[in-house]
Amino acid sequence: MKPAALLILSILVPAPPPVAADDLLVFAAASLTEVLRELGTSYEKAHADRIAFNFGASSDLARQIAAGAPADAFYSADVARMEELEQAGLVDRRERRNILSNVLVIVVPRDAKISISEPSDLKSLGTIALANPEAVPAGIYAKTYLGSLGLWAALKDKVVPTLDVRAALAAVEAEHAEAGIVYATDAAASKKVRVAFRVPREQGPLIVYTLAPLERSTKPATRAFVGFLASRGAAATYERYGFIVLPAE
Amino acid sequence: MADSTANPPCRDVIELALELPLARFSLRVAVRLGDGVTAIMGPSGSGKTSLLEAVAGLRPKTRGRIALDGTVLLDSATGVRLRPERRRVGYVPQGAGLFPHITAMGNVRFGARGAESRVRAAIECLELTPLLGRYPATLSGGEKQRVALARSLASNPRLLLLDEPLAALDVGLRERVVPYLLRIHEEWKVPVLYVTHNVGEALDLAEAVLLLREGTVEAYGPALEMLSRPAMARAAEAGIENLRHGRIIAHDEAGGTTRVLLDDGQILAIPLSSSRRPGDAVNLAIRAEDVLLAVERLHGLSARNIVEARIVAIDRVGRDALLRCRPGSESGPERRPWLVRITPSAVGSLGLTSGQEVWLAIKSHSVRLL
Amino acid sequence: MLTAQDLAVVGFTLRIAALGTVLIIGPGIVLALALARYQGPGKSVMETLLSLPLVLPPTAVGMLLLSVLARHGSLGRWLDAAGIQVVFTWKAVLLATMVMAFPLLVRSARTAFEEVDPSLVGLARTLGCGPIAAFLRVTLPLAWRGIVGGTVLAFARALGEFGATIMIAGNIPGRTQTLALAIFQASQVGRDDRARALAGVTVLVAFVTLWTAEWLTRRRTRRVAT
Repeated sequence: MKPAALLILSILVPAPPPVAADDLLVFAAASLTEVLRELGTSYEKAHADRIAFNFGASSDLARQIAAGAPADAFYSADVARMEELEQAGLVDRRERRNILSNVLVIVVPRDAKISISEPSDLKSLGTIALANPEAVPAGIYAKTYLGSLGLWAALKDKVVPTLDVRAALAAVEAEHAEAGIVYATDAAASKKVRVAFRVPREQGPLIVYTLAPLERSTKPATRAFVGFLASRGAAATYERYGFIVLPAE
Repeated sequence: MADSTANPPCRDVIELALELPLARFSLRVAVRLGDGVTAIMGPSGSGKTSLLEAVAGLRPKTRGRIALDGTVLLDSATGVRLRPERRRVGYVPQGAGLFPHITAMGNVRFGARGAESRVRAAIECLELTPLLGRYPATLSGGEKQRVALARSLASNPRLLLLDEPLAALDVGLRERVVPYLLRIHEEWKVPVLYVTHNVGEALDLAEAVLLLREGTVEAYGPALEMLSRPAMARAAEAGIENLRHGRIIAHDEAGGTTRVLLDDGQILAIPLSSSRRPGDAVNLAIRAEDVLLAVERLHGLSARNIVEARIVAIDRVGRDALLRCRPGSESGPERRPWLVRITPSAVGSLGLTSGQEVWLAIKSHSVRLL
Repeated sequence: MLTAQDLAVVGFTLRIAALGTVLIIGPGIVLALALARYQGPGKSVMETLLSLPLVLPPTAVGMLLLSVLARHGSLGRWLDAAGIQVVFTWKAVLLATMVMAFPLLVRSARTAFEEVDPSLVGLARTLGCGPIAAFLRVTLPLAWRGIVGGTVLAFARALGEFGATIMIAGNIPGRTQTLALAIFQASQVGRDDRARALAGVTVLVAFVTLWTAEWLTRRRTRRVAT
């Protein structure tokens, strides 16, 4: 009886989760996963603050923030999500900046024998993975683009909606979908897909990543870190991952 | 050892004037009971168990008055209602009601509140020592009843309420437990209310009988008097026995008998039982119809047990006569009376009367070892 | 195969599940006893409300909790004004697990109490026990196995909680990510190896939990039967 009781009692010691409460919590679009992790690590080396990230679909993250999630900053993959939060008074407008842009690509599994040389070739496929085109920025961009080509009506029933753009990428990697539309930076981060078509920037929708500290965050480190992410120093890192750095406003 | 005099025992200690609505009727009992053993009898569903529960305090809807030797347990007029834990009424339900998660010892100790001497006395009285470490699931019906009785006793009750304690037991077991009930009353001097269907039990144990029907008192009086009522007489025809408890003195291998010293000092010869050792406790049963009665001193009789006695009462049981005969001389120690069942013609032709000196003969073979 | 971060997720999940289970034991036993013993007018309403988390989809339960606790919700308004953060923090994970596990504990405990012969309680009273003493000395020991079983069931449910948790606590690594949520996230981004490893851990944890519960309740049976 005693050993079992001790075992059970030992896990009853309640404790807060590993990350301490006064660390920074940054909600960011899923496509920023690798680049922000690198930027966060280098910032931590130079400062005492710890940075924690919550990556996901910008729409989902915005919803959580609106519901009261304790984030310190929000890095969204489109402006519309940020503006929803601005209207709710949750965003520090003065510190908000548009930082990055990106392009869309059509990807297929690396070893697949599919040949797509242009978007209309998608009509020959059965399944196309997109981040949920009803809500997630990456999906909305893709839908806008396909719509501008007059292809949306033909393709919309082939769409496999995923929770965010990385899930769409994973679906193509695992060959659950025959093709997908993701950001160029996502394709670059994956070894299991190849780019079948790259959307020229001037033909695709205007993609803008925008970053702002949240009003409720009272930590001085928040604005410092946001400043860092928007700085010239960070620009080189973004470019290395394939992002397009917007000129400073 | 129900003393059959014309009246119930003089001290009226239990005052009942209560009313309790039940499913089909209301229980309405207004009676004063004595300090001995009172058997509560009546048809099934007449409210006997409810009466016991009401006295124990387990029926909150009871109204009226319940007083025990001056202590008021319930009085609706003055707003007194003692909670069960304060009433000090020992209750042994049908089926014993032992706590299954505690050993026999634990059960006995449950309500004792540290009074170890009382616990020990109860254990000894009910001969529970070999059973103490066992759990109720491993005890027989009779053993469970004994533990339940000891448990009530150890809690130092003012009154004992026994609800058909022997009903669930087979005949042999039943007879094993009755002597314990007798000992309880003799040793602990606690008034007992005892629900039973069995007339033989009532006769053997109770001084008075309370008859319930449909929730009201149909009659209350001395046990033998109640027996003449038609319903009870029919039941009595099933058989009346003398139950005794004693210890083995010695075996007489050659003679084929074993001598037993009864608790009240009498000595009986029973058939040889070499499987029991001297000093062992035994329970004996002798049917009332197996006791022979003579008005002269007996000589040359094969029966090994001759008892000199005096008739203290002659009553009827069904078509027969039932005599109570107290052994020994009037100045000697008080001995338990023998029940003798004979035909009315024998009573007539021998001219038997109360107070007469008689000799009882009991064959050793008539003594059944339980 | 498992990183330090994975182990942290395991530890977090275990601690939250254990804390949540411990917190619901007291109220759960009280409510179970009340449901077993009393026949009042509001009883069916209470029973129905209690059973809802068992029957509703967990995401629906999460949605209901969120609408109350979010910044704009009826309760969340006050919390926000007071500067207290619940949603999307570990407290929300704790709350979700407690809400989903509570009905399981109450059900098992209630059945256990109902199986205790009420006449035994009455007997204990005649032997000098007040109502609380009778509960502690008779009802509780006899209902113990059912209560332990219910607690284990609640703990297992707390360990595996997903739907309500993801609604009110999100899936924030290091802060609100439990094992179940981590498995989901790993599979979403194509990290099936990590998902499988974590799933393996849940099997191990579940096995140990159930085995311990079996062991605890089996010993009891042996004692009573001796």
